[in-house]
Amino acid sequence: MAESITRRSALGTLGVVGVTLAAGALGTPATARAQASPQALGLQETVQDGLKRVFGGRPMKDGSALIKLEIPPIAENGAVVPVNVEVNAPMTPASYVKTIWIVADKNRIPIVVRATLTPDAGQAFVGTHIRLGETTDVRAVVEQSDGTLLTAKREVKVTVGGCGG
Amino acid sequence: MAGDIGKIRIRVPSNAKAGDVIRVRCLVIHPMERIERDAQGKIVDRNYNYITRVTATYLGKPVAVFDLTQSVSENPAFSFALKATAPGPVTVTFVDTHGGKYESRADIAFA
Repeated sequence: MAESITRRSALGTLGVVGVTLAAGALGTPATARAQASPQALGLQETVQDGLKRVFGGRPMKDGSALIKLEIPPIAENGAVVPVNVEVNAPMTPASYVKTIWIVADKNRIPIVVRATLTPDAGQAFVGTHIRLGETTDVRAVVEQSDGTLLTAKREVKVTVGGCGG
Repeated sequence: MAGDIGKIRIRVPSNAKAGDVIRVRCLVIHPMERIERDAQGKIVDRNYNYITRVTATYLGKPVAVFDLTQSVSENPAFSFALKATAPGPVTVTFVDTHGGKYESRADIAFA
């Protein structure tokens, strides 16, 4: 187990180095590059590395009062876990919810999905089905159009993991 | 099963009224391949076929874009909201890592 963690963090580091090198070659900042390429979302890394890579050191406020994270507390089948995220915030061109990330802390690929919304959505709501490898915290991270980051999380107990290998 | 890849179902409410915020649900048949490991636990290096991007537009304007990783389930379903201002099409496009592009539309009609 200890061995696999080392290998995983090593892979994560390699991935970040790769992205940084590629970004350097193109003359764009590493963060912009990472956000522009969907493949760069899906690195095998720890959740700390993933959050650091995507959000840098930006402060995150507790948004549990605004974010409604609907996910079953016990998932019998980790291969299909329905998640709905609803944010109680205005959706007008002046102030809207720009991005919603769903993060599963203990997955090998912790950043699960990034949803980018426009004010035309009328309501900050997204839902999807995700895989969970084991019992883990699932977080929703919400970025508003003024750059504020809000987060909320819930624990899900997983009976049978859905991430294989 | 393989022949069904890219089959899409979109569900929109049938009794929407102008100005309502409605929720749209869509589902696509896709394997969303997981990372495989060999007997030594090494990752098998190949081009895994999974969807990386889902784009939803309404009346030609984007409403929601999803960027996915392999942590999303097989045959994934997505829901999003939109403000129904006029009757018209909702289009959802899926793009996978093997160059597959699947698109489907549903029409919003007012009751």
